[in-house]
Amino acid sequence: MPFDPNDIMKDRLTDIGPPKFDKFFPPIVKKNYGKWKYHEIIQPGVLVHVSETGDELYSVRVGTPRLVSVDFIREVCEIADKYCDGYVRWTTRNNIEFLVSDKSKLQPLIDDLKSRDNRFPIGGTGACITNIVHTQGWVHCHTPAIDASGIVKSVMDELYEYFCSHKLPAQVRISLACCLNMCGAVHCSDIAILGVHRKPPFIEHDRVQNVCEIPLVIAACPTAAIKPKKVEIDGKEYKSVEINNARCMFCGNCYTMCPALPIADGQGDGAAIWVGGKVSNSRVPPKFSKLAVPYIPNEPPRWPTIVQTIKKIVETYASDARRYERIGEWIDRIGWERFFEKTGLEFRHEHIDDYRLAMTTWRTTTQFKW
Amino acid sequence: MSEEAKQKILEWMKSQKKTKHYFNDLCKAVPELSMRQAKKLINELVSEGKLRYWSSGSTTMYMLPGADDVKDEEDKMT
Amino acid sequence: MALKHKTPMVDELMSGPWPSFVADIKRLAERKPQCDDLLGLLELSYRDKEGHWKHGGIVGVFGYGGGVIGRYCDRPDLFPNVAHFHTLRVNQPASKFYTTDVLRKLCDIWEEKGSGLFNFHGSTGDIILLGTTTDQLEPVFYDLTHELGMDLGGSGSNLRTPSCCVGRARCEWSCLDTQDLTYDLTMRYQDELHRPMFPYKFKFKVSGCPNDCVAAIARADCSIIGTWRDNIRIDQEAVRAYVGGELVPNGGAHGFEKRPLDIQAEVIDKCPTKCMEWDGKNLKIWDEECVRCMHCINVMPRALRPGEDVGATILVGAKAPILEGAQLSSVVIPFMKMEPPYEEFHEFVEKMWDWWMEHGKNRERLGELIQRLGMREFLKVTGLKPDPRMVNTPRYNPYIFFDPADVPGGWERDTKAFRERHQP
Repeated sequence: MPFDPNDIMKDRLTDIGPPKFDKFFPPIVKKNYGKWKYHEIIQPGVLVHVSETGDELYSVRVGTPRLVSVDFIREVCEIADKYCDGYVRWTTRNNIEFLVSDKSKLQPLIDDLKSRDNRFPIGGTGACITNIVHTQGWVHCHTPAIDASGIVKSVMDELYEYFCSHKLPAQVRISLACCLNMCGAVHCSDIAILGVHRKPPFIEHDRVQNVCEIPLVIAACPTAAIKPKKVEIDGKEYKSVEINNARCMFCGNCYTMCPALPIADGQGDGAAIWVGGKVSNSRVPPKFSKLAVPYIPNEPPRWPTIVQTIKKIVETYASDARRYERIGEWIDRIGWERFFEKTGLEFRHEHIDDYRLAMTTWRTTTQFKW
Repeated sequence: MSEEAKQKILEWMKSQKKTKHYFNDLCKAVPELSMRQAKKLINELVSEGKLRYWSSGSTTMYMLPGADDVKDEEDKMT
Repeated sequence: MALKHKTPMVDELMSGPWPSFVADIKRLAERKPQCDDLLGLLELSYRDKEGHWKHGGIVGVFGYGGGVIGRYCDRPDLFPNVAHFHTLRVNQPASKFYTTDVLRKLCDIWEEKGSGLFNFHGSTGDIILLGTTTDQLEPVFYDLTHELGMDLGGSGSNLRTPSCCVGRARCEWSCLDTQDLTYDLTMRYQDELHRPMFPYKFKFKVSGCPNDCVAAIARADCSIIGTWRDNIRIDQEAVRAYVGGELVPNGGAHGFEKRPLDIQAEVIDKCPTKCMEWDGKNLKIWDEECVRCMHCINVMPRALRPGEDVGATILVGAKAPILEGAQLSSVVIPFMKMEPPYEEFHEFVEKMWDWWMEHGKNRERLGELIQRLGMREFLKVTGLKPDPRMVNTPRYNPYIFFDPADVPGGWERDTKAFRERHQP
């Protein structure tokens, strides 16, 4: 029964939920579900999982830009049909995994992936920089301070060798969120790139009452910085709002409710860089990322300062950290004073917290390094 | 009983200056009901076309539908 | 066919070793004018260093309060094909396995009725269909439900689409059936997922072990992380093989060369509780001192495996910074068996939601409500008992809110008797 635009309730299905997870499992996964015994990475990007039944499953991991077209997905399907009996999966970090249970298909699959220009980079396993998880940026978001896909592409181009190798002391997880709403929740990453606005919204007083509902704009502000205000322009009175700029923390929620409060600004916007977070419980508990660089301007299309700053952090870490130390563990060992010294990053007043509970981050010991 | 409560919700909506309301604001119109009971009635009002959702993407609110509200909004946006 | 818009800056992202989203979109732009306009708009953003999107709120599919996000371009004069460019979130199958058959059908639907662009996948885990017009929302929804057996995911003040790690489908460490639990929660709470009633968003994330591959502890209001209560399973022969250099440590994650593992430096000294000892032949683990950090298991996957008395630690309250600052989830149930039908867990969830719905302010996440009203209150409404595993340290301020019920005579005072003992 085709869709009937005149009667959308006809044959309507709702609340059916997603397909059950095992509907798309390859037979080998169905058979060995819960029976896997151990795994090994046999080369960067290629894993073998061995089951108690003796079955072996090879996974070839490739990076993707996340933002992809139907043509790309169809190409993935063509490859999966050719080598993987029509099955494929995605990881939580936007990598694709092609799964083969027949080892004789592994090398031909790898050769095929490598033959497709740069579209299917193999890697993202072990002590590497795997794919960057990121948000939408200028491609499709309404409050971004930075682009997402362009910065990710530029950073990954520069750090590509680390995607395809296991030569870092431990894995380095990079994430990007294009404003501090962080729909990508980047606050526990080894390295986080975070879009920051630095100018509060401006108010188009003559438009506010026509395009916005003032009580909702006021309610939308998380810090209660917005109040109603009557404004007179050329003898005409407008219902509008005023903003306490000192309380603005640049989230853009007011702009969501009211297009007459634009927050984006080409001169003011840019990125902050954060380091040392992790989510795994391995060795030390999960950690938040901490501020490394408060602001880097937008430099499209290749964002050289962001790219070089991250490269510098990664290379300093790579040469100085011990095996298994994540960036945060490395910094804990050497101390923040050494981190800034070794990376050459400037320590500024923005690094010293002045929000709630700030004092828990200040140094309350005479122990520090010269 | 439930029709009466639904009517109370709609009357409350009409009496407000704001056009969009959070779920827990709506529940204030029927304080005698638990939030889960209220939710059931609000769902029914939505499926009857008497209430509609508004979403900022991160937060959702409820409003009374207008005759041409989607078109009006889209005209305003573009 | 030549594209309409010149995009010299954006074109610089065509080169380099990492796959180019620009090259991909250009390929489709040959036959999809929306893609051509999208690249043109992006070029404008690269010139202005500002985004060009506005946000609209009414659009959606009938009866659902989430799953669709309205989006409008602020230069429809220049880019009419993306003037209206809404997003649909499609609930992914747990742990993201697909057949090429279902992906091809999805592509056909989306090429015909939308931009042909996706986020594969969005941050929450959904398949994101990026860009279509209002009149196409119902037809796309119809096709998704009828042809693919797929449904929309959560947005707004809904339960957001639950997600999980690869779990038992392809990992030997998963201490619970992450997919099954994710599917159970997703299906049981379809109403919460599609019809908002919460003060704000609510996320479940399920990781099979403390390595936490879905970052549950950092971003889920309710984080479910697999763990075990008995002993790490040891294959002593395999331990000796690592020490003897016959097996590659870390399953190759830290280099592929066969080298003798320095078990003292690389495993025992890295153990957070120093609960292990190596006597040259056997590895001894004092499991009662183990905090299950996974490091030794990660280093010697052929020799060590999690125990068999498995379940989950339940933590609550994680969130990104808006508003009160970022929070990690905190332990509230140190251990729960996680087996179908998950009744004990459902009961916990529903008590937690009832409390949050009743007391949460608009746009207040669960973690913030717990901060505002106190962990004691949370434990009370969910019927949980205080446990030292819930804190890093007991409080170090003396501002204890004593319960009058615990004080003899409550807060009533015999003022007269007091004054008989003490002259004013």
